[in-house]
Order: sequence, then C-alpha cells, then structure tokens
Amino acid sequence: MKRQTFWNDLKNYKVLLLMLTPAVIFYLLFAYLPMAGIVIAFKRYDYAGGIFGSPWNGFDNFRFFFESGDAFRVTRNTALYNIAFIAVNNALQIFAAILLFEVGGKWFRKIIQSAMFLPYFISWVVVGAIAYNLLNYDIGTVNVLLRGLGLEPIDIYNTPAYWPYLLVLVSAWKGLGYGTVMYLAAITSIDTEMYEAAEIDGANIFQRIMKVTIPNLYPTVIILVLLAVGNIFRGDFGMFYNMIGNNGILFSTTDVIDTFVFRSLITSNDIGMSAAAGVFQSVLGFVTIMLVNYAVRRYDKDRALF
Amino acid sequence: MSATELNVDKSFAKATGVRKMDRKAFSVIGYVSLTILALLCLLPFILVVSSSLTNEDKIIIDGYQFIPADFSTEAYRLLFKYPEQIVRAYIVTICVTAAGTFFGLFLTSMTAYALSRKDFKWRNRFSFFFFFTTLFSGGLVPWYLLIVNYLNMKDTFLALVVPLLFNVFYIIVMKSFLSGIPEAIVESAKIDGAGDFRIYAKLILPLSKPALATIGLFLALAYWNDWYNALLFVSNENLMPLQYYLYKMLGNMEGMRKAMMGAGAVITTAIPTESLKMAMTVVATGPILLAYPFVQRFFVQGLTIGAVKG
Amino acid sequence: MQKKSGLIMLAIAMMLVMIMSACGNNNNNASEPSASSEPSASASSSASSSPAATETEGTAGASVDTSKEVKLKMIFVGPKPVDYDAVFAEINKKLKEKINATLEGEFLDWSDWAQKYPLKLAAAEDFDLIYSANWAGYNDQALKGGFLEITDEMIQKYMPQTWANMPKVSWGQAKVNGKLYMIPQNRGESVEKLILYREDLRKKYNLPEINSPESFATYLKTIAANEKGIVPFTPETGDWKYHNLDRVLLKQQNEWNMFDLDMPFAYKLTDEKGQVFNVYETQEFKDLMVYYKDLADNNAWSKNVLNSKNDHQQDFKAGKTASITHNNGTLGALMSQMRLENSPYEVKLADINQGKKKSVAISTQNGTSIHATSKNVERSLMLIELMQNDKELHDLMMYGISGVNYEPVGDDKYKATDKFQNFYGFSNWNFNSPLNRTDEAFPQEASDLVNSWEADVYHYPLETFVFDNSKVKTEIANVGNVMLRYGIPLEYGLVKDIDKGIADLNKQLKSAGLEKIQTELQSQIDAFLAKQ
Repeated sequence: MKRQTFWNDLKNYKVLLLMLTPAVIFYLLFAYLPMAGIVIAFKRYDYAGGIFGSPWNGFDNFRFFFESGDAFRVTRNTALYNIAFIAVNNALQIFAAILLFEVGGKWFRKIIQSAMFLPYFISWVVVGAIAYNLLNYDIGTVNVLLRGLGLEPIDIYNTPAYWPYLLVLVSAWKGLGYGTVMYLAAITSIDTEMYEAAEIDGANIFQRIMKVTIPNLYPTVIILVLLAVGNIFRGDFGMFYNMIGNNGILFSTTDVIDTFVFRSLITSNDIGMSAAAGVFQSVLGFVTIMLVNYAVRRYDKDRALF
Repeated sequence: MSATELNVDKSFAKATGVRKMDRKAFSVIGYVSLTILALLCLLPFILVVSSSLTNEDKIIIDGYQFIPADFSTEAYRLLFKYPEQIVRAYIVTICVTAAGTFFGLFLTSMTAYALSRKDFKWRNRFSFFFFFTTLFSGGLVPWYLLIVNYLNMKDTFLALVVPLLFNVFYIIVMKSFLSGIPEAIVESAKIDGAGDFRIYAKLILPLSKPALATIGLFLALAYWNDWYNALLFVSNENLMPLQYYLYKMLGNMEGMRKAMMGAGAVITTAIPTESLKMAMTVVATGPILLAYPFVQRFFVQGLTIGAVKG
Repeated sequence: MQKKSGLIMLAIAMMLVMIMSACGNNNNNASEPSASSEPSASASSSASSSPAATETEGTAGASVDTSKEVKLKMIFVGPKPVDYDAVFAEINKKLKEKINATLEGEFLDWSDWAQKYPLKLAAAEDFDLIYSANWAGYNDQALKGGFLEITDEMIQKYMPQTWANMPKVSWGQAKVNGKLYMIPQNRGESVEKLILYREDLRKKYNLPEINSPESFATYLKTIAANEKGIVPFTPETGDWKYHNLDRVLLKQQNEWNMFDLDMPFAYKLTDEKGQVFNVYETQEFKDLMVYYKDLADNNAWSKNVLNSKNDHQQDFKAGKTASITHNNGTLGALMSQMRLENSPYEVKLADINQGKKKSVAISTQNGTSIHATSKNVERSLMLIELMQNDKELHDLMMYGISGVNYEPVGDDKYKATDKFQNFYGFSNWNFNSPLNRTDEAFPQEASDLVNSWEADVYHYPLETFVFDNSKVKTEIANVGNVMLRYGIPLEYGLVKDIDKGIADLNKQLKSAGLEKIQTELQSQIDAFLAKQ
C-alpha cells in the first residue's frame, strides 16, 4: 500500500521531477562525485596511488591544526567575524533597499544603485592596496588629515583593536550593492494593497515600514541568513589575506581558519592537510546549519531551508 | 453632529499634515544617507580610475590620488598593446556571459519553481540534496580530474559555462521569491488543465520578473568576473575570457621582469604595475557599468509589473 | 516517510556506481607509471653493462637506438614566448638531426603556475619533461611520485657529457631520500644578498664607506633624519621569515648555514660535527634584534613595513627608498637599467660582510625532471644533455635566434636586441651551464664583486645534506606559522620589549614542536656524517 503511494506520488510529480533532473544530474556529477575526494583528508596522498590508492593515515592530517594551540582562537574568530558580517551587512542592505524604494526619482535611484555596486567590482587585491593607501602611518590619507588638524597620527597597522571594526566595515561596503538588489527585489514584490491598507489606517511612513515592509522581508532575511550560516566557519580568504597579509601583530584579532591554514601549509603545500582543514570546516558548518534549520523549522516549517 | 464631523475632519487634516511632515523628515534622512553611502562607494572607484591614469613614478612616491597629478595613459597603452587579443577576450567573455546567463536563468528558475511548490512533498529533501553540496566539497584535485580526465572539457567553451550554470544560493533565493506567489494562481491554472511545466513557463515566469532580474544579474556578474575556471581549464588563447586574460597579463609581466632581472638580464621597459592594476579594474568593469543602466531600465520595469501583479 | 526517500536512494546508488567507475579509471591511470618505468629499468640495466661509453665526448646518441622519431613535451614555468614558433622550429631542426626527436613546450603562466603545476602532475597529464626547482616544490613532488627516479647508469649512458661536467656536489644536493629525480642546472649561482644604496646620498652627508653593519646603520639613520620623503630601507615584499637582511646580517655575518629558511635551525659552516642550534636562542640573534629595533626606532623603514606591498626595486628606481637588498643578478640588472634610463641617482653595491665565507645556491634552484609516466625517458635525458652541453642548442634555448633575438658578443656575452624579450622570461634556467652568456650591459662592478667572492666560497661537509621532513610535517607547519606570527614583527623592530618578544617566540616554538624537528634533524645529520 505504501508502495502504491510512492508510485502515485512519482506519477503526480512526474513533470516536477523532470524539471529537477538537470540540477540533480549537475550536482551528482559536479559535486557529489568529486566529493569522494574528501578521503584525501585521511590519506597520505601520492600520485601513483591517486585519490583512492594512496595509503590511509587516519587523523594525521588533522594534527597540525589541533596541535597548534590556535585552533580554538581561529575557529572562534572565523565564526564571530561571519556573524558580524551577516548582521551588519544584512541590516545595512535592508536599510539601503528600503530607502531606495521610498525616496527619490528614477534618476536619483539609478545613480545611487549603480554607485553602490562599484565596490563589488574592485578586487580584494586592489581593495587591500587602497586600504593601505588610506590607513598607513607615514603617508596614509587618514593620518595626513590628522596631522593637518594638529592631532596625533594613529598607527592602525600595528594596533589589533581597530581591525574587527575595519573588516566589518569593508565587508559591508563591498557587499552593499549586491545585497541591496536582492532586498529591493523583495520589497517590490510586496503586494501594493498592503501599503494602501496601511495608508488608510493612518500609518505614517515610519510605521508603514515597520509594520508592512520589514515583516514582509522576513522570509528573504531568514533564507539569506540560513544560507550564510552553513558557511560560518569559512573565512573570506581573499579579504583577510589582502587586508592583513602577513602582519603577525594583527593576528590576535584577525586570524581566521583559512588564513591560518594557508600560512601553515605555505611551505609544505600538503593537499591532505589542507583537505583536513576543509573537512573540519565542513563538519562544523554542517552541525551548525542542521541545528539552526531545526530551530527555524520548529518556529515555522515553511521558512526553513529544507 | 456637525461639530464632531468638523472635528474628525480636522484631526484627519492634522493627521495627513503630520504624515506629510514625517514624509519630509524621512525623505531628508533618505537622501542624506543614500548620498553618503553612494559616495563611500564611489570615491574609492574614482581613486581607481584616477590612478589608472597617473604616471607610475608619481604613484610610487605619493600614493593614489583623486586627481591624476601626472597624467599618463601608459597603463592603457600597455593593456591594448595587442588589441586583437583583448577584443577577442571581450568577445569570449560576452559570449560566455550571454550563454551562461540565459541557460543558467532558465535552469535555476525551473529548479527553484519545482522546489517552491508547496504540494510537492519531496521538496525539502531535494533542497537538502542541493544545499549539502555547499557544505562539503572534495576539493580542487578531484574536481580538476573529473573535468579534465573524465569529461574531457579542457579547452572547451563548455568548461567556462557549465561549472557555473547552477548555484545553490541562486536556486534557494529564487525559490524563496517564488514561494511568495499566491498558491491560488497555480490552483486555478491547474483546474484549467495546465501542466506543471506550462504553469511555470506561462504563468510563473512572467510573474517573477524582479526575481528573474536579480538572479539574472547575479549570474551575469558571476560569469563576467570568472577567471578561475579559465585558469584551470583553458590554455587555448582563443578561449581566454577577459578577466583571466588581464590576470594573466599582469602576472606574466611581473613574473617576467623578476625572472629576467634575477638572471641578470638588463631590461629597459618599465612596467607600471600599480597603474596597470587599476586600469585592469577599469577595463573589466567599464562595459558592465555602461550596460547597467540599460539592464536597470529592464529591471525597474520588471519591478513595477511584479509589484502590480504580486 | 521512508518511501519518499526512494529517489534519494536512487541518487545515492547512481553516485556509488559513478564513484566506482571513477575508481576503476583512476586505477588505470595509476598503473601507468609502473608500466612506463619499464623501459627506463631496462635502459639502466643495459647501461650498466656498457659503462665504457661514459667518458667519451661526442653525441650521446651514438650508442642508443634513435631510429624511431619521438615527440617530446616539456612543461616550462613562465609565459609562452612571443617567438616560440620560430625559435622552437630551429631547435627542432637541430634535435631531429641529433637525436631524431622534436620538442614541444607547454607554458604555465607566472600568474597561475603555482596552482597548475601540481595539478598537471596529479592528473598525470601527458608530458615527458618538466622544469623543476626547490622553490617549485621539487622535494614534495618527488616524494609524491611525480618524477621518475634517475639512476647513475642512466646518466652515464644517455648523458655522458653531463656526467663528466656536473660537479658531484650538484648531484648530491638534488637527491631526495638518496634518490635523484632531477638533472640540476650546471652553474653555481651566488645566493648571497647584497645591498644596493644611493652613493650620491652617502657623499652628500659625507658618510664613511658602507662596508659593515655599523656603517650601514649610520647611513640609514642619517637618511631618516635628513631626507624627508625618502624611506631609508625598503624590504622585498613577501620576503618572509628570514628576510634578506637576516641572510646578510645573521647567516653571512656569523658564517652560519640554514637548511631551510622555513625552520629556525642553523649550524656553523666550520663545525665538522654539524651541531644544529635554534637561531632564536642565540646571543647573535638577540644582538641583531637590538640592531633592528634601533633602526626601526630611528625610522629606518616604514612603520607599516609588514603591510606595505610596494615593490622595493620600483621604489628604489623612483628615488623613494635609499637602499634595498637582493641578489647580485637582480641588483646589477637594476643598476644598468637605471643607468640606461639616465637616472639622476648615483647608485652603488655594498657588501657589508667583506671577507666572510660565501656559499653558492644549491643545485636544485633550477633543474629538469622527467615525468613519472613519460614513455620517452632515454630521448628526454638526451635532450637535457644537448641543451646543457651543445653550444648551438644551448644558445637557441637560452637566448633565441642569433641575429634576431640577440647578437653574440664573443663566446660568453650577448647583446640584447629589441626582440630579446620575445624569447625570454620563462624558466629555461634548468639548462644553465658553463656555456651561458652574460648580458653585455650588466655592470662590470657587479660581476667583479661576485668574482671576488670566489676565494670566499666555502665548501662544507653538510653541503649535500638534504633533510627528509616527512616525519615532522605537522611540526614544520606549526613552527612556520609561529615564525611568521611572532618572529617577523621582532625582525622589523616592531616589538617593544625584545627580551619578552624572544621569550614568547621560543615558548610558542616549543609548543609547536620545535624540539621534535631538531631531534629528527640532528639524527639525520649524524647519520649522514657517519656515512661520509
């Protein structure tokens, strides 16, 4: 009987399943099949043996990370930075999207939107160079201004305390245009009747935003946050490396798993060890997203990722 | 009676007056904050453009400046030294972007639509099947082996398009957008006897223009900016996309200079590395910036339709 | 509920099938190397039966059957030269004549060779020869089985001239765990770092000649105090751990040698026993940190030196910095370049360790390896033999076509033409040999300086010792990380309390497993010396 339900379902969903087929094949081929390479993390890789023929070495490849004494610090840093990025970036993007929707004429909005997208196109290498140009002690713009005002220059590149703020700022700056587009699309999809209803109820613009716009953005926010949570233990290497580089003085507040692993393996370049670090990040991310998704499901089944 | 009526009218007028005041205050806040945000984004880019037009020595001594102190087009002349190569790179990028965005958008929206159907019992399982791939990956080596040794896609156009066709992030964002479309629309279409694919193509797609425009934009940007697939899979010069061409050019100029000098060979051509980096950003971004207002127009248009129907 | 997962089950089943078929394929691939190593094995056995051919001059192909034409493929690092077609056509004409083979080059651009190089080997792509070097991960790739082992017999049989001409030390240095996987370059390069500074500024302030650490410090401090806008010293970007100045002031000055700049171990060149010590625990290191701190406090370099990405050579040329360090070749070339461009600055090289012992680069700086899956081992070796020892082919490979890319000047110099850069800038240095020409424009004083060192070049018992780090990989990764984090700030005088900084550094190194590496290293050295 149960069997019958299954075949019935299959028949009912025939077209939907067909529509999913390209994606399923794609992910089987390009993601699940190479995923077998995870075994490299537990092997001493050599070319003759390849991925499957190389000898196993248990958890040896993980040792460098856990025995370094820095594992906890960099893991914590990675998660905290990502949480800060998720919170600040999304808040700022929602803020910008709401304003863009409510304020200004066609041209103003177009120009502002285009301008906000510009940082997305500047590579981290160039961002790092510009940051150095602004912040360095000797001829950096910030310090030139401070000196001009008769103030003491600040040695930003030798002061770890500034960097969490700077990095959050830079991340928000770079992602502003991209995220705003998404929220703008979400706002414009809100039923206009709801606005009219709010208007008739005598709500002013602030109330309308709080009562109509923002609640309607919840599904989008939840989805975007959930998507980001799975990768909370992966640092944006391009950003951290180009902003901080190899400045050990700043590592106490800026070192994330990815930069740490990069530095450890820069000389040995061992793919088994780097795979091990990746597996560690994956497992942590997996556990986190399962818990968070479970929590969201309990609260509202339709809002969860899966 | 009339007195109370008058009173109501008055308070209504007062309320609209307050609302107008609020509106004004809001507009001021809005204009000011948006302008500040936009300037923060614009200024560094001006710095990039200006530096790309500045003499290298000047940059080395004074850093980047907002106005080129010593104007020079050296970096651009170097970039366009082989104009046929860069034109070809542009063409490759445009073709890859166009093909990738078109097919990617079709496949993404189709997948997302199936996942968004609330009557589709297996949707969460499929979502998980897709999402899982963002958590675990086998790393570079198996991926490279797969594409080069098993799929034989090395030095093919497909190697530039296929790996980016699907992206879980886009699928799920699209799905969340499509979930916003009232179920009643699908139900009524079903009663009219429309099949699932027909509903998707004829009904859902036109209703989700904001989402399509957004995901289309993201796909286009991903294809436009991609150089990593080219790095791995393309060695044929005729297939080199712009970003990779530029990346390669800078790396080779630097590498060649160091290599030659290290071997004690005296070279006389200086490479303006700093301004070249900036010029590369401009050259790679320029066409998109020029095209964006047109896309935006479509975008804005799409938004209003979506807003009305949604 | 369980039934709904049917499709997922199907998917998983499909995946397993695919993985298994991939396994199968992979095994096929994996079996290739052993199959192709057959000819080389037979070659070596036949070689040992006819060792007489070794010392004779003349073409290597004489005793080998080359009747079947073969196509060889070699991977170079660096971009494909503009005149590749023309030059390789010439090269192939000669090769065809001599060993009935042709050569095709594949080039890994400087921008991405580091990613592609290991992938080419991992994917067992089809090629015969590959440029290899210590800085391109020679040891690691050899240990992973990317390269074919080359035996003495093979060299004697297929490359007699190389066997005769190559210094024995070079072979020893190129061995990994006692096995050879590379034909190294045949030319000792100087590795010692020099200082290039502004002679005009020295004269302006009437400073003593720069020939010692003290006079260099005086120069830097004077510039810092008097020349606004000029940074006295700029280090090389990405120059980590032991930076160029350390190599001058720590290694050369104290006549030490370090195995590997990624580990803090050194031994005295003169120490017969090869006693290894931790550099960071020495008084010499502490003194140097005091010297650096003093310089840093006097603004001898930028406060943000760790984040600066400025190219020190460009900075020097533009007059933004008053001194840099690098090797002789680079600095000499930079000097000539500045002179040719009529730079307003008078520049000069300084050796602040005059009379100290000098060492030359280890041979694995550049070399050629044979791919483990190559099917043309003999012809590949013969090709290397010709490239290093045949004047015509060597000139073609190194400088391009005579009269087009360069003008020969005598036997050992060349004059670059405007097309010189059309065949340059990729890694052909593995074919370096005594036949090399030098650039006519290279400053005489730079060559003289290096030549004057010849008396100081020191050969020492551990010259051919190669550390096998496979047992302490974890510790090496962690020690390297600690050196970067705690060592580098110290080395640029950025840590206020030197004693505490050094103590911290050593404490961290200890917990990273420094002692384990030291014990392993020492036992390998002892075993090595006992064998000699």
